[in-house]
Amino acid sequence: MAAARGGNTTHTMNSSVIKVENISKTFGAVRAVKNLTFGVEEATCFGLLGPNGAGKTTMMKMIYARSPRDRDCNGTMDIFGFDPRTQELDIKNLAGVVPQEDSLDEELNVIGNLMIYARFYNIPRAEAIKRIESLLSFMELSERRHALIRELSGGMKRRLVIARALLNNPRLLILDEPTTGLDPQVRHVIWDKLRLLKRQGTTILLTTHYMDEAFAMCDKLIIMDKGEAIMQGAPAELLRQNMEAYVLEVDSAALASGVNGDLPAGVRIDRSHETVRLFADEVEALRTVADALAQDYHTIRPANLEDVFLKATGRLLNEVQ
Amino acid sequence: MKSSRPGLYPTLWRRLYSVWFRHMRVYTKHLFSNGFPPFLEPLIFLVGIGLGLGRFIETMDGLQYIVFLGTALPVTAAMWTSAFECSFGTFIRLEFEKVYDGMLAAPLTAENLIVGEIIWAGTKGLFFSLSVTVILLLFKIVHLPHALLGPAVGFLTGLMFGCLSLYITSFVKTINHFNFYMTGLLSPMFFFSGVVFPTSELPRVVRPFAEVVPLTHSVQLVRAVVLSNYRLRHLGDLAYIVVFIAVVGYLAVRRLTKRLVY
Repeated sequence: MAAARGGNTTHTMNSSVIKVENISKTFGAVRAVKNLTFGVEEATCFGLLGPNGAGKTTMMKMIYARSPRDRDCNGTMDIFGFDPRTQELDIKNLAGVVPQEDSLDEELNVIGNLMIYARFYNIPRAEAIKRIESLLSFMELSERRHALIRELSGGMKRRLVIARALLNNPRLLILDEPTTGLDPQVRHVIWDKLRLLKRQGTTILLTTHYMDEAFAMCDKLIIMDKGEAIMQGAPAELLRQNMEAYVLEVDSAALASGVNGDLPAGVRIDRSHETVRLFADEVEALRTVADALAQDYHTIRPANLEDVFLKATGRLLNEVQ
Repeated sequence: MKSSRPGLYPTLWRRLYSVWFRHMRVYTKHLFSNGFPPFLEPLIFLVGIGLGLGRFIETMDGLQYIVFLGTALPVTAAMWTSAFECSFGTFIRLEFEKVYDGMLAAPLTAENLIVGEIIWAGTKGLFFSLSVTVILLLFKIVHLPHALLGPAVGFLTGLMFGCLSLYITSFVKTINHFNFYMTGLLSPMFFFSGVVFPTSELPRVVRPFAEVVPLTHSVQLVRAVVLSNYRLRHLGDLAYIVVFIAVVGYLAVRRLTKRLVY
């Protein structure tokens, strides 16, 4: 783990379009973000993964100047050449933001909502209409262009907010938990759109507390907990460097009767939760354990980022803090 | 898809205009339900109180009672609408609808947003006092062309109460606290600022209070302009209004900014 901590960032810092160095944020007595350092390369997707309250949203807000970083922290931020402390409007002009809550104007219809934002970016009317049509078609909302906000499903609202964030052709797209509360099919649609944007050159920054989203979307990510970066790097690398390849998940009661003796070599066990997890690089070793169990309440699966988080913090991503 | 001014964020005026435009769009979406009551309310007031009470009170401060009362109504309408807009309205946008979370992701600073809010309050003050003026003209209480200056005072009154209400809002934690503002400050102001009877009739101890509160100066100024009856002291009223907007507006922007960006 020590090798992964911060080790992957230094050599990419020079080509990064976002450079965050040693940034902290304090609310009263709470240090929400502690000495965070990371870099994001152009046209990549960078993720902040962590449980609720880890400081992900706070970090995002500091990037688009919605929240000032601590005055006394001697860190620096460079967002496409601009400093949020003094160049707030430059950053907001080149970035599109999808906040955690949809914040749509319920009084207006789909197009009305987008027209208001076109005004914020000072896009001329004719140009705005053209751009809105193409964004609605990109987000598969064309048929709903005159619908009222309350007539939209959660997934449609989310897609509309993403369309809104894309109005000014942002070079940087910031998404705060883009698919929280959406059904799996909608999540995949949104992920596809984001991948397409990335291929077209948009840099994407997202927060999530879903390890599958982080794994599916992010080229690099930081795993955060209590304001700190636990580790950062490419998701596959993080898995390879920190985790055994396979996990056996067993109902704990079943395990108590099944595995009491010595575990096969190379098998690690985590009993901290209701579901007991056994880790090993060799799937055969886990099968041996599984075969000895009396009941069928177990699964063998490849390890994922949640297992990394569990190993580092002793907790799960969606556990109540 | 190229931006009209690539790489450059909109100018200050454009940004303030865009905030104003947003409020205008949302407000005019329900033109009938939002636009009709401002005309109906002064009508009810004039018929109900002016005509009824006017039969018992013939003159007030040298004016026919319905004229005395009617000439103050453009600014009381401006006060109520701007006060509601920047208290309940702003609080709902801030805490419930989260409208500002979206807006502050666009190229707008919190200061832009709040100043835009104040200008919008002024605009609603203008519109509401204009609708009252239309009714007053129908009743032949005021006359063209100077009656049209009334809405200008309505605009200033809207700015004043927009600033004051935003300042109050910056302290408010739950929406029910606005009840204290409405019944504790605005309602007394309505009755003791020379709207229904002259402030000179107030007990000596209360009179200084009437001179301090903003509505008194709006009322004095609007009567002067719509009746074209100016005195030197009306310059003082105008100065009060301008200073009030500047000082309270500054405080409101400073405090609310801290609530939006922290």
